[in-house]
Amino acid sequence: MSECIVITSGKGGVGKTTTTANLGVALAQQGHSVVVVDADIGLRNLDVILGLENRIVYDLVHVIEGSCRLKQALIKDKRLERLSLLPAAQTRDKNSVTPDQMRKLVCELKELVDYVLVDCPAGIEQGFKNAVAGADRAIIVTTPEVSAIRDADRIIGMVEAAELPEPELIINRFRAKMVAAGDMMNKEDILEILAIPLLGVVPDHEDIIVSANRGLPVAFDDDSIVGEAYRRIGRRLAGEPDVPMLDLSVPDGFWTTLKRWIGMNPAREVAR
Amino acid sequence: MKDLFSRFFGKPAAKSKDEAKQRLKFLLIHDQVDLTPAQLETMKAEILAVIAKYVEIDTESTEFKLEKAQDCVALVSSIPVRRVVERPASTVVPQPA
Repeated sequence: MSECIVITSGKGGVGKTTTTANLGVALAQQGHSVVVVDADIGLRNLDVILGLENRIVYDLVHVIEGSCRLKQALIKDKRLERLSLLPAAQTRDKNSVTPDQMRKLVCELKELVDYVLVDCPAGIEQGFKNAVAGADRAIIVTTPEVSAIRDADRIIGMVEAAELPEPELIINRFRAKMVAAGDMMNKEDILEILAIPLLGVVPDHEDIIVSANRGLPVAFDDDSIVGEAYRRIGRRLAGEPDVPMLDLSVPDGFWTTLKRWIGMNPAREVAR
Repeated sequence: MKDLFSRFFGKPAAKSKDEAKQRLKFLLIHDQVDLTPAQLETMKAEILAVIAKYVEIDTESTEFKLEKAQDCVALVSSIPVRRVVERPASTVVPQPA
């Protein structure tokens, strides 16, 4: 039974595209066939994150307008045979596609693969409506910031209004040291406000920038903790809800240990 | 001595994440209700004016706030009553026809 999952956030720049690329890689590594769809028409980037930008001939709008066949537009990732990309058009805009056309496209894709992951554009307008049109479920990406969480709350309401099941949350750019110092909202704070199930927490890490530079998603890197975070999220997504959360807690440093020893009891919060 | 210690080791300052959470909760409630602070003030004034017709209230310590209940936003108010007004202004209330 194939599934279409939309990755959305409301706010831009929180990591939707990176999340889509890495979950695509993680699911394909587990043996599932996956198409990642860039629904950000006019501002495509998923191709770049995946390092497939030089191989684009046809795009999503060509498929919808019938100027090529669906399979012609799909770019197979040579590093991972079960993963393909359907790129967005770069010289068109969101109004080139309607929700009905997207729904039809997703149906066709679901006949070809196990998972269709749709990278939703930022915002709540036409692009969002197109991206959620064919989806069976939604993932909300947020960062531990007031602005991102506010927008996530708005988007959760819109996902429910689109009659999708309750969305699941990925907390991105998590900085355990700042959380331990009380300068970043922790997992519990965010879940208390958004009140949806947590799919995973992804640490903020330099590996993400390096992998974007190279066009090689970090989920390919067996030694990266961020890669591990995405691989675990991929497993939870594919029906293993009990995969343990990554331990992101900060080991106590010298001063913290000393403070605790002399009874000053600095607040300690464990982020997992 | 304790001061010296605190200076050395730093005392736990107010956490910025608590401030973030507080601001966020306020924001989400107001996003949902979609009332401007000015409209909220007007509503408060009108509600108090109606209550004041019946009871004498302490406007100084009156509290009005929006809180997130389970599935909805609740308007929670605390209005201390000093005493009942001598003659309730019942005549002002339109009688059902």
